Amino acid sequence: MKSYLSLIPLSAKVHRRQNRMTNLCIIFAVFLVTAVFGMAEMGIKLEMGRLLEKHGSQALVNLSSNQAVQTMILAAVVLFVLILIAGVLMISSSLNSNVAQRTKFFGMMRCIGMSKEQIIRFVRLEALNWCKTAIPIGVLLGIVMTWALCAVLRFFVGGEFSEMTLFGVSPIGIASGVIVGVVTVLIAASAPAKRAAKVSTITAVSGGMENENITKCAVNPRFYKIETALGVHHAVSAKKNLFLMTGSFALSIILFLSFSVLIELIGHVMPQFSNTPDLTISSADHSNAADTALLDKISGMEGVKRVYGRRSFFSVPVETDSDAGQAEVADLISYDTFDLECLVKDKLLQKGSDISKVYGDSRWVLAICDAGGRLKTGDIVRVGSEELEIAGLLKYNPFSDDGSTNGEVTLIASGETFVRLTEENDYSLIMIQTTADATDEDVAAICSILDENCVFQDKREQRTTSLYLAFMLFVYGFLAMITLVAVLNIMNSISMSVSARTKQYGAMRAVGMDERQLTRMIAAEAFTYALSGCVVGCIIGLLISRLLYDNLITTHYSYAVWRIPTGSLTIIILFVVIAVIAAVYAPTKRIRNTSVTDTINEL
Amino acid sequence: MDLLEVKSISKTYGSGETAVQALKNVSFTVPKGEFVAIVGESGPGKSTLLNMLGALDPPTSGQVFIDGKDTFSMKERELTIFRRRNIGFIFQAFNLIPELTVEQNIVFPVLLDYKKPDKKYLEELLAVLNLKERRHHLPSQLSGGQQQRVAIGRALMTRPSLILADEPTGNLDSQNSSEVIALLKKTAKKYEQTIIMITHSRSIAQTADRVLQVTDGVLTDFGRCCE
Repeated sequence: MKSYLSLIPLSAKVHRRQNRMTNLCIIFAVFLVTAVFGMAEMGIKLEMGRLLEKHGSQALVNLSSNQAVQTMILAAVVLFVLILIAGVLMISSSLNSNVAQRTKFFGMMRCIGMSKEQIIRFVRLEALNWCKTAIPIGVLLGIVMTWALCAVLRFFVGGEFSEMTLFGVSPIGIASGVIVGVVTVLIAASAPAKRAAKVSTITAVSGGMENENITKCAVNPRFYKIETALGVHHAVSAKKNLFLMTGSFALSIILFLSFSVLIELIGHVMPQFSNTPDLTISSADHSNAADTALLDKISGMEGVKRVYGRRSFFSVPVETDSDAGQAEVADLISYDTFDLECLVKDKLLQKGSDISKVYGDSRWVLAICDAGGRLKTGDIVRVGSEELEIAGLLKYNPFSDDGSTNGEVTLIASGETFVRLTEENDYSLIMIQTTADATDEDVAAICSILDENCVFQDKREQRTTSLYLAFMLFVYGFLAMITLVAVLNIMNSISMSVSARTKQYGAMRAVGMDERQLTRMIAAEAFTYALSGCVVGCIIGLLISRLLYDNLITTHYSYAVWRIPTGSLTIIILFVVIAVIAAVYAPTKRIRNTSVTDTINEL
Repeated sequence: MDLLEVKSISKTYGSGETAVQALKNVSFTVPKGEFVAIVGESGPGKSTLLNMLGALDPPTSGQVFIDGKDTFSMKERELTIFRRRNIGFIFQAFNLIPELTVEQNIVFPVLLDYKKPDKKYLEELLAVLNLKERRHHLPSQLSGGQQQRVAIGRALMTRPSLILADEPTGNLDSQNSSEVIALLKKTAKKYEQTIIMITHSRSIAQTADRVLQVTDGVLTDFGRCCE
C-alpha cells in the first residue's frame, strides 16, 4: 500500500455486490447522455447537409430562427436537465445508502486517525473509482446505441433518413457522456462524503448507535401486522432516504407525463392522416373542372394505389335554425367514400357523430364549425330548397394549419348528396396515393394525360411519415429509458435497504420470523416508497403536463383541450407495481438463500 | 424426561482439502429443566453446535430431537414456527431491533405469531428483568446489561421450553454478567425451562448443572460440576 487511498480499490473488490447497482446507475446515465447527444449530432449533420444541398447557407440561418425549432430545442434542453437530475438522484441515493451502511467503517477510520478531509476525499475518490469502469462502458454502449438507432432510421424508417451515416462517432456525444458521468458522480458524492466525515468516533467504538436518528416505531398490531408495520417504518424513518426515493420515483413519473405531452404535440404538428395524397390534380381556376372520367382513367394506371376526389362549392347561402331565417354562407365540400372512412379512422369526428347516415344519396351532412358554435348534431340546415340535417361534427378544421375555422362553416356531404344539391359532377381536386414502388416515370405518365386546365402537384416529398416515425421512435425510446431508470432505481434502493439490515433480518429470522413475513416486510417498505413517489409524481406531473399542454399545444391549436391522461397514469401505476415486485423478489431470494447463522454473524 | 436428544451429529464446512470438521459425531441428551454450559477454546464447534440445536443450521449428518420432534425433518416454514414457539435465542451481540422499544422488542416473537401478548406475563417479565422504567426506551438508549436483559425477555416471552444462549455475557462486565446469569437461572427455574449456554467464563460454568466441552469438534461430558 502506497497511501491510505490504496484502500479504495481493495474495498471496492470486497463490496462488489453493493457497488454493482451504483455502477449500473453511472453506466446508465453516461449511456443515455452519449446516445442522446450522439443522435442529436447525427441528426443535425444530416439536416444541415440536406439544407445546404437544397437551399444554400441561407436556410441554416432560417432554421435557427424558426420558432418551432426553438420550442423543440427548449423542450429538449428541459428534458435533458430532468434526466440529469434523475441521474444525480439515482446515484446519490445509492451512494447515500452505501455510506450509511458503513458508518462503523468510517468511525473506525476516524478512530485510527483519518481526518475529516481525508474521509471526504476517500468517499469522492471511491465514487470516481467507479467511473473508471462505468464511464467507458456507458460511452461504448451509447455509441453502439447510436449506431443501432441510425440503422433503424436508415433501413426501417427510410425517407429523408436513408442517407444517415451508419457508423458515425460523435465527439460531442462522447464528451458530454464523460462530463455528465464525472459531474453527476461528484455532485452525488458530496453529500454522502460530508455525512461520512461527520461520523463520530464514539459511534464506531460503542457500536450500538448504528443509526443515529432512529425514531420509535408506531407498531400497532391491532391495525397492522407486525411485519407490515416494521416495513413501513423502515421506509418512513430514514427521512433522507425517503426523500431521495420519493424524488426519483416522482421524477420518473413527471418525465413520463411530460413526454406524453410531447407525443401529443408531434401528433398535432405532424398529423398523420390516412387520406394524405401523394399527388394532387386541381383545376387551375379553382372551379370544378376535373371530370369523373379522369379519375377512372388514373385509377387504372401504373403505380396508383388509390384515387379519390373532392368537389367544392364555396359561399353557398344557407339558413340554420338558430339564426331563424337570417341568411348565412357555408362552404360545401364533397367527400368520396374513402375520404369519409378516413375521418373515422383518424378519429376526427366528435363524440355523438353518426357518419353512417352520410354515405350515399342522403339528407345528412357533416359540419365543421367553431367549438360551441352555432351548429350541433341534429340541427337543420337549409340549402336552397333542401333541408339537410347535421349527422356529426369534426373535432377541428383539417383545412387550416391551426385547426381553427375563422368563424366559417363548412359542410361535408357525400359525393352523391353533393351532386344532387349542386348538379355539379366534376371534381375540383383529385387526390392520388401512389404505391410504395411507384417510380418517377409512373408519376410523369399521370402528369402527361392532363390538359392545361389542370394543376399537377407532386407531394411525395412533403410526406412527414418518416419524420413522424423518427420522432415517435425517439420519444418512445426515451420513455422506455425513463421507465427503465425508474425500475432500476427502485430495485437498487430496495436491495440497498435490505443489505443494510441483513444482520437485523437474520436476528428476526432467528427469533421466528418466517420467509413470508420477511417478504411482506420488504414489500411493505417498497410499496411505501412507491406510494409516496406516485402521489407526489402524479400531482406535480399532472400540473406540468397541463402547463406544457397549454403552452405547447393549446396556444397553437385552440381546439385541443387538456384532459387527465388516464392511459399514461394507468401505465405508470402498472409499471411501478411491476418494478416493486421485481425489486422485492431479488433481495428476498438472496436472504432466503443465506442461512440464518450467516446473516447474524455478518458484520 | 429428556427435552433434547442429539444423535451423532457431524458438521463439515467446505470440501476437499479445505474441509473443516467442526463437529465429529456428537451425541448427548438433556433432561427438562437442566442448565447446561458449553465450554471450549475459541474456534468453531461451540456456536456450530448451538446453531444446530436451535435448528438454524442443518448438520452434515445426524439428528436433533426437541420434545421428541426431529427438527431437521420439518419443512422450512414449519421449522420457523416451531422455533418461534419452542426455542428462545440470546445472542452475544443482543441483536435487538433498533427501532422497537424495550416492550416491543420483548413481545416481537408473539406478534410474529399474530397473537395478543399476555399483558400479565409481560408485566411480570419486565419486573423480573428490572426494565419497568425503561419499557418505552429504544435499545440505543440502554446500557449493554440492560440490552441483554431485553434480549432475555424476548427469549422468555413465548415461554419456550428451550433457551439457547451464545455467550450472553460476552459483552458485559463481571457485575452485569453475574446479574444476567442469576436472572436466567431464576427465570428458568420459575418457568421450568432448559438452558444451554456457551460461555468462556469458568465462574459461570461452575454454576451450571452440567458442563460440556467441545474441543476440535469432539464433545466431552464433564457431568455435574460440583460432583
